[in-house]
Amino acid sequence: MQIQYRHWNAAHGWRGASALREPAQLVLYFGSRQGLASGARYRELRDLYPDSHIVGCSTGGQIHGDDISDDEVVAVALHFARTQVRVVDVVVDSREASRACGARLARKVMGADLAGLFVLSDGLRVNGAELLAGMTDLLGPDLPVTGGLAGDGTSFEQTLVGADGEPLPNRVAAIGFYGTSFRFTHGCAGGWDVFGPRRKVTKSNGPVVEELDGSPPLDLYTRYLGEDEVAAMPGSGLAFPLRIHDESEPDRQIVRSVFAVDRNARTLTFAADIPEGCTAQLMRANFDSLAAGAGEAGRQARSALADEVAGDKLAILVSCTGRRKVMGQRTQDELDAVAAELGDDVTRIGFYSYGEIAPPGGSGRCELHNQTMTVTMFAEAAE
Amino acid sequence: MHRLLARQIRQSTDEAGQVDMARLAELVSTAYEESDGDRRRTDRAIKLMIEELEQTHKRAEQDLSRAREFLDSIIENIPIAVFAKDAKDSRYILLNRAGEEYYGMPREAMLGRTPQQIFPEDIARVVNEQDRRVVDSGTPMLLEGHVLEVGVKGHDRVVNSRKLLVRDNGGAPQYLVGVIEDVTERITNEARISHLAHHDALTDLPNRSAFNAELDQRLGRAQEASTSFAVLSLDLDRFKDVNDVFGHPVGDMMMRAAAERLVAEADGAFVARIGGDEFMILMPDDIRREDVLSLAERLVEAIGKELEVDDYLSQVGLSVGIAVYPGDGVDAAALLANADSALYRAKREGRGRVCFFETGMDRELRDRRLLQHDLRHALEQSEFQVYFQPQARMDGEIIGFEALLRWNHPVRGFVPPDQFIPLAEESGLIIEIGDWVLRETCRQAASWPRPLQVAVNLSPVQFQTGDLERSIHQILLETGLAPTRLEVEITEGVLIGDFTRALNLLRRLKALGIHIAMDDFGTGYSSLSYLQSFPFDKIKIDRSFILNLEATPQSAEIVRAVLSLAHALHIPVVAEGVETEAQRAFLQREACEVMQGYLIGRPEPIERYADLIGINVERRRYA
Repeated sequence: MQIQYRHWNAAHGWRGASALREPAQLVLYFGSRQGLASGARYRELRDLYPDSHIVGCSTGGQIHGDDISDDEVVAVALHFARTQVRVVDVVVDSREASRACGARLARKVMGADLAGLFVLSDGLRVNGAELLAGMTDLLGPDLPVTGGLAGDGTSFEQTLVGADGEPLPNRVAAIGFYGTSFRFTHGCAGGWDVFGPRRKVTKSNGPVVEELDGSPPLDLYTRYLGEDEVAAMPGSGLAFPLRIHDESEPDRQIVRSVFAVDRNARTLTFAADIPEGCTAQLMRANFDSLAAGAGEAGRQARSALADEVAGDKLAILVSCTGRRKVMGQRTQDELDAVAAELGDDVTRIGFYSYGEIAPPGGSGRCELHNQTMTVTMFAEAAE
Repeated sequence: MHRLLARQIRQSTDEAGQVDMARLAELVSTAYEESDGDRRRTDRAIKLMIEELEQTHKRAEQDLSRAREFLDSIIENIPIAVFAKDAKDSRYILLNRAGEEYYGMPREAMLGRTPQQIFPEDIARVVNEQDRRVVDSGTPMLLEGHVLEVGVKGHDRVVNSRKLLVRDNGGAPQYLVGVIEDVTERITNEARISHLAHHDALTDLPNRSAFNAELDQRLGRAQEASTSFAVLSLDLDRFKDVNDVFGHPVGDMMMRAAAERLVAEADGAFVARIGGDEFMILMPDDIRREDVLSLAERLVEAIGKELEVDDYLSQVGLSVGIAVYPGDGVDAAALLANADSALYRAKREGRGRVCFFETGMDRELRDRRLLQHDLRHALEQSEFQVYFQPQARMDGEIIGFEALLRWNHPVRGFVPPDQFIPLAEESGLIIEIGDWVLRETCRQAASWPRPLQVAVNLSPVQFQTGDLERSIHQILLETGLAPTRLEVEITEGVLIGDFTRALNLLRRLKALGIHIAMDDFGTGYSSLSYLQSFPFDKIKIDRSFILNLEATPQSAEIVRAVLSLAHALHIPVVAEGVETEAQRAFLQREACEVMQGYLIGRPEPIERYADLIGINVERRRYA
């Protein structure tokens, strides 16, 4: 595998490392919604890589190496020696259609030697958990699927995904990697701790929680954030995600963060469905624990990667916008922690998302997460 | 240098190595703000969390306290004594209300004290021994159905008691918990239910199922030992009348009195009540036939004596049928069926009798059942007919007819009325049949050109059940027969039983214009008093007197006496069974008003008497 890294800024346009010796099969790019919305960046990339699949999305911040930027567009062009790549996409008209769309995507990418799937999805109009459930229905729980939900900074207005076309809302793109040489590892961790009493979700409707212990959930967040910070909801609510525990699936412990607020109804909308009757507990973290969590994700991905890989190694870091919001300038610490685990020989790119897709703890069926760092590594085995 | 500061300096340094102080200051300031914000959030979260946890804790305590109160009130109010003691020294630490009742002292007198301080020494020693055993072994103690040793409830209470050990967190004995349940009522109830299952509630005699069980046992024993025994089937005669006259509450008392007499007289034999007025007796083994008979006769005599209950006097009778093992049957079914056959014969022979089973009786009973079966279908199959027998003045002038029911069975031919009428009365079919006879008779009489009288017999059963008055009224309206042409004949059986009711009914019938005749006069018991209580329109002298007119002088005297009595009361007399000219001559001499019998004409379909009812035969033929 060979990697060519590129980035774009308003001052210099596209710049990057020396061109690939062989044509790229796949180009991945990430940028802010404002930076991608015009479609100009896609068109430029298309000119640069006329024969490649080009897939990208809007974010809550782009990661390249040790840096985070909001203005630059980052991209990698990948050449695989012995791996085939297929890119598929679907339009999701409504949240309710999410599961069916997941199944359609899965049908399109299914293949005997499918080795892994990387998914980029609209981050606001798609029910990520249902999308993944639809995919798992067809592909089974053992195929590794990673990726993330596109972001929109902390404004939560519109997210974009493009697959061999200009990036648009309501899109889901999936990249299938085929062949026995492809190495696809992943890690996923949070670094959050639960605190305070357990609360019952006494009333909910899909992802909208209407009552916690019989009271409006916004009241709880108002108490914990204070009036000043509540004004900045939903962004400020990212500081206190909820751990959801469903009695019917006792082994599944899921973290969900607030995506939208209805100040009249005093209800909160979360990233995925929260069934009535679940237990919810507030979570919080400090800078160090979050950084340690990110390091753990890096460790999982790296340790899963066998030594006998040849050529370049790519790590795609998908971390939650909520983490960046909480860590502020200390966000860099989590990238440092990942870098320390991955080592110098791995190219790092990634973005801050509205949801991370990976099997939890580096194993098991893929889930939609909030407030985690996920690390996906691509490499090819030596001949 | 702090990692963050190093990063901030790097971010504020341009390519030439120049540090932009303003940029650096901004980064540092923002980092401080972020830090402050994070600290504030953390502080706030910790404070709120403590508050919330305290609230949760408080709520949990309240819930716990409510749950405790709830449980306390349950323990306090359950009707089972509950106590708890310190496992070390058996000192009482809890006692509920039922416990106070059980021990007969307020809890203040027990709590904090040991058994030695509360109970007499011997009891305290037993209690302590039990406690030590439970504490040492760790296994619960369960005593079922023992009699109380302490307490004021008395020594006749039966209790189940249970003691168990409760250990503390470290596993050391902490409490002894005990429950004492008073099961006296339950045990009594169980015994009572079992008694009820095998005894008749009214007389407390063994019931049918107990009798069957006893009979099976006796059969087994008799088969093994080759002994014999007698089965007596008993039926109280006329007991139904007792209920009808006095009502069921008195009837029940009479039944109890009768049962007591049976038991007293049965001399230790097994007496069971198996139905309304039916009893069975199993005699001891190997009793001689004549002893069985004499016992049965004593029973008949004892029951036949007047019963007095609460000033109510009544007389019932007893009929007895006897079957003997093994001669009359070797299994329960045969013995019972044959004792019943004998009973039936006893009743048919006039009640108040004792009959041993004889071969053939069982067939008789079967025949009777068959006949009853056929009787049920006779009406639908139109097997009944009304025959008419003319009644005439002494000069031969026909004044009316008596309607007589005939049953023409397709196989049996004509069944004699004395065979099927009692059956119809027993089964209640007489109501329907009686209605049919009345309607048919009235319908026919209404069509006769000559307005002759027509007499119909009514059964006592028709008086007792149903609405006879309404039914007669309805039939008269339907058929258009003038009430004055209808005469009903009753026997004194109608007046036995509910006398007042029967009398009122007769009065109302008479008020309609219907004539009332006293039938079979001279054969009953107290006809004279009935004559006094009701103004009969006619008296019919029983045929038996007329038949014997020439043979026995007494009969002539009786007829003469009846006629003079009737004349004195201005009641006309009909002589039945007049067959010879001599009989007619005698009756004419004695001024008897009306006669009926073969001399005048046999009972026949009315067509045979067409000329008498005014139908011109010739005219009818060609009409």
